[in-house]
Amino acid sequence: MLPLQSNLVARRLIASALPSLPPAPLPSRREVHLWYIVPNEIKDASLFQEYMEILSPCEKEHVLSMKGELHKKCALLSRVLVRTTLSRYTDCKISPRSFKFMKNRFGKPEIVWEHNKFGLLPSLQFNISHTSSLVACGITVDAPIGIDIEEKQRRPVTNILSLARRYFSPNEVQYLNSFVDPEIQKIEFLKLWTLKEAYVKALGKGFSGSPFKDFTIRFERSKDLLLTSEKSKIGELRIAIETVSDPESVATNWRFALVELHGSHFAAICIERDEEAPAIEQELLKLKVWKTLPFVEDECVSDTDAVTNICGLS
Amino acid sequence: MASTVATAFAISAAPRRSVQAVNGFSSLKSVSISSQRRCFPSTRMQPSPMGFRVSCAAKKETVDKICRIVKKQLALSDDTVVAGHSKFSELGADSLDTVEIVMGLEEEFGICVEEQNAQNILTVQDAADLIEKLAQEKAL
Repeated sequence: MLPLQSNLVARRLIASALPSLPPAPLPSRREVHLWYIVPNEIKDASLFQEYMEILSPCEKEHVLSMKGELHKKCALLSRVLVRTTLSRYTDCKISPRSFKFMKNRFGKPEIVWEHNKFGLLPSLQFNISHTSSLVACGITVDAPIGIDIEEKQRRPVTNILSLARRYFSPNEVQYLNSFVDPEIQKIEFLKLWTLKEAYVKALGKGFSGSPFKDFTIRFERSKDLLLTSEKSKIGELRIAIETVSDPESVATNWRFALVELHGSHFAAICIERDEEAPAIEQELLKLKVWKTLPFVEDECVSDTDAVTNICGLS
Repeated sequence: MASTVATAFAISAAPRRSVQAVNGFSSLKSVSISSQRRCFPSTRMQPSPMGFRVSCAAKKETVDKICRIVKKQLALSDDTVVAGHSKFSELGADSLDTVEIVMGLEEEFGICVEEQNAQNILTVQDAADLIEKLAQEKAL
């Protein structure tokens, strides 16, 4: 009998039928759950065939239309991760294969909850992001969420300042300009990029619905005494967002977090704030992270060095 | 690792479509494109019965250029086929890649692509058509 707090739950794939997934307890209102797959760690090629079986015909077609085995693999694992993760949070009453999805009028994917025989289902919100080496899915209850991941060692951006001048806000250009070392500038650029992407994805209005140029993401030290570290007297580093047209109006209804994931990626998370929460809880996100190989192995990595807070986490 | 994945997908993959040429006018080498940035031959050539064929040939040059920029940006292997019908999403372009590709195209062709137009570009051919349209508007 595995202890309740066990970090490692192993299941072996013994038959051709996929075993059931362990159900997952729902995140609280102010919590984000993040699940990720590392494609390169999949050694068993037959697993891909099993995974294909849980996709819809449309999704299968999309996976097969991708050019190159790597892109096929990542497209497949994205769908597998969404379907299996959501299934866990319905106490596995809804199987991964059963979920139906639609896109809102701006193209943001949403779950279609059909008339269900299972009673009240949680209001799950999700968002996915992937690179060629990691596939991630963020889950909340109720709160609109956007996530974005980028490889830290991503191939160099041709001209960061040129791109920033074209797409980012003036304050962000100034911020990036302040870094002389090109490596550090690239890192700071990727941090801003993922945070801006996560915000736009959380809003769900598409790239042109919330142009990057119209808002500024800033890193600042909190002046809130409740968040000041006792030792250093330095305020907690947090992420703020303001509109370019009205810099005084800091958008306070969105919360951000930025973490380093699996030692290789930046992961930015943006969720809508819970107005009813006490002020101190509203400031920082609570995050739990699992590395998974669906139907094979799940590992909670929240308190390991697979997840390093850069800012925004409690 | 790559070979085992290839086996897995070979079992369930539908037969691949053969790559079609974007148009049949690849033999027209006589069109010279002097200044890429400011104009396209279709706006400068003398009117002639060959007029229609000239503008199609220009499009192929445009498509080829775009394919080169895309292959470079996405670091695609030489045997990856990129042609007019190729969808950017299928080539594995993420949002940052797309932005960089658009910037590369803007620089190469001397145009400016608005965000709402960029969203309608799904294939390489869509990009070529938009570039031709913007370049012609600029030349007017």
